Amino acid sequence: MSLPSPFMAVLRKELLDTLRDRRTLIAMIAVPLLVTPMLMIGTARYAQSRAQEAREKVIRVAVVDPRDDTGLADHLDAQPGVEVELTKDVVALPARIAAEELDAAVLVDETFQREVAALHPGGLSLLFKSSDDFDQQKKRLTAALTSFEQKLLDRRFASIGLASDVVHAVRVQEHDVASPREQLGKLIGGLLPYMFILFCFTGSMYPAIDLAAGEKERGTLETLLTAPVRRLTLVLGKFAVVTLTGVVSALIAMLGLYVSVAYGIEGVPPELLSAIGQVLEPATIAAVFALLVPLSMFFAGVLLMLSVYARSYKEAVSIISPMTILVLVPAVIALIPGTKLTAVTAVVPVLNVSLATRELVAGTAEGGLIALVFASLGALAGLSLWACTRWFAREDIVFRS
Amino acid sequence: MITVQHLAKRFRLSRQQRRTLGARGDTLQAVDDLSFTAKPGRIFALLGPNGAGKTTALRMIATLLRPDAGQIHVAGVDALADPVGARRRLGFLTGSTKLYERLTADEIVRYYAALAGVSEADYRRRRDALFGALGIDAFAGRRVGKLSTGMQQKVSIARTIIHDPDVIVFDEATSGLDVIAARAIIQFIRQCRSDGKTVLFSTHIMSEVSMLADDLAIVYGGKLLYQGAFADFTAASGQRSLEDEFIRHVEMAEVAEAAAGARP
Repeated sequence: MSLPSPFMAVLRKELLDTLRDRRTLIAMIAVPLLVTPMLMIGTARYAQSRAQEAREKVIRVAVVDPRDDTGLADHLDAQPGVEVELTKDVVALPARIAAEELDAAVLVDETFQREVAALHPGGLSLLFKSSDDFDQQKKRLTAALTSFEQKLLDRRFASIGLASDVVHAVRVQEHDVASPREQLGKLIGGLLPYMFILFCFTGSMYPAIDLAAGEKERGTLETLLTAPVRRLTLVLGKFAVVTLTGVVSALIAMLGLYVSVAYGIEGVPPELLSAIGQVLEPATIAAVFALLVPLSMFFAGVLLMLSVYARSYKEAVSIISPMTILVLVPAVIALIPGTKLTAVTAVVPVLNVSLATRELVAGTAEGGLIALVFASLGALAGLSLWACTRWFAREDIVFRS
Repeated sequence: MITVQHLAKRFRLSRQQRRTLGARGDTLQAVDDLSFTAKPGRIFALLGPNGAGKTTALRMIATLLRPDAGQIHVAGVDALADPVGARRRLGFLTGSTKLYERLTADEIVRYYAALAGVSEADYRRRRDALFGALGIDAFAGRRVGKLSTGMQQKVSIARTIIHDPDVIVFDEATSGLDVIAARAIIQFIRQCRSDGKTVLFSTHIMSEVSMLADDLAIVYGGKLLYQGAFADFTAASGQRSLEDEFIRHVEMAEVAEAAAGARP
């Protein structure tokens, strides 16, 4: 076995050193592979169980019907999961609801029957305590009251000899021509880049800090710079490793996401899983991966630059950590409805990747704009590498103390 | 051989550095018109108090810093025109030299050999000779972070000369080391002289100078105060100790500096 070329030697050494660093392994592999799916599965299962609980919960409703002649109490009582209590004590109701002895109360107006008979709306008052928990129950109660109204309307139209659908002059039938892939693509295509941009950045953050500021702090950088090798070769080796860790981290995050959706979350409809399968076809994955590489290169250049500027590991962490938010802002902007891939957004870093991914996943990407995204990312990656090389060559930066 | 001619280096000071050093201006002249020659097969000691400019001068020779003025030749290579070529002929070791703790001794030495473009055959031969001579074989496969300071220093030595440089520069190489680790360095410096290498070392420890130096230069405030053979220096000092003679040179420089400052 012969000795590798200087570039390959730097690449191998930095990779070996990085893979033996527990912090990097946690950030690059463990977090995206384990923590993300665990969080997703845990959150989804918790949300599912809470929704199920809310659906199955018996709603205790007090009905105050002064004349006991509306039939509302019987109607509500006939609804599944509704327990009715007839009462006349109106004054105590707010306190009983506040104490969660009751979930809601419906108060029938004194004039209800008279108004209904006169073909006017009869008055009902709904008392409830707003909270996240009650939202699902309120929907069920409102549906029961709507069906009660429909019953009265049917009766009213029958009395005047009209069909109840006479009030509808127009019937709108919706036909969504978007394919399931497009519909799903617009949804998960927005979330997917949010995930992989975050992990691409955090995955390359620790290696970048370790390979520049870490080396500076440990005193190994000065030794390395006395080696008979061009500084560009050293920077390129470090740059390649940081880029690689970013890409690997993002890919692991996507894998974790797919595995958790496909196997971890119960109750995902088979048609949705099939649509996810269509979205994640090899061509789409290859295109997204192709976007990821220049993005990771751009991150690597910027991160190494900031890292070599820092005097110590700690200072590099404090400079670089807040950048996570800075990176996520464009990814979040891409989630805002109406934000589209245009000639302008195609050159905004991070935002362009988010929007291009959405278009690629949905299968609606325009070749020209995607090419513009690649061109701008390539230019940015090149620029960040150039700037990074310049900073590594500056003695006031490398020996900053 | 190392030839240094009219070397100068000025640093811009940060506000914090100005406060720490008590400097009045924005800049510090770290090295000022420094010239000397270190010859093959001899040990050249660069002597000076802390802040004299020794480390800056050695860093310029090792091409870590670029001088503002002057010329440096390392084994005949112009270090300013061809820094990589100069580094190929040079080994650089400091007391604060650190190694990659997550790599083994073997991996580190192999890494530096690859960076220097050493052929596989030369690497094998040098590695076996160095590891045998320094006793590294016993711990070559262990990660450096798990080794004692003395063992780490031996790995540093192997790393420094794996590419068989003609010139070896030591910057306060024994500073902060325990007796055993320091002795390994001293023995190594002597070995380099025996092998015909040019050795340049900086220190402020007088006993090391007495033990090792063939030639001597004293620097103070970035300027050269004295240069000559060590034997001539001790002969001229008469009954005075080496330390006293060194202090005498420094004090004379301080007096001259104060007089220059007082002149209208």
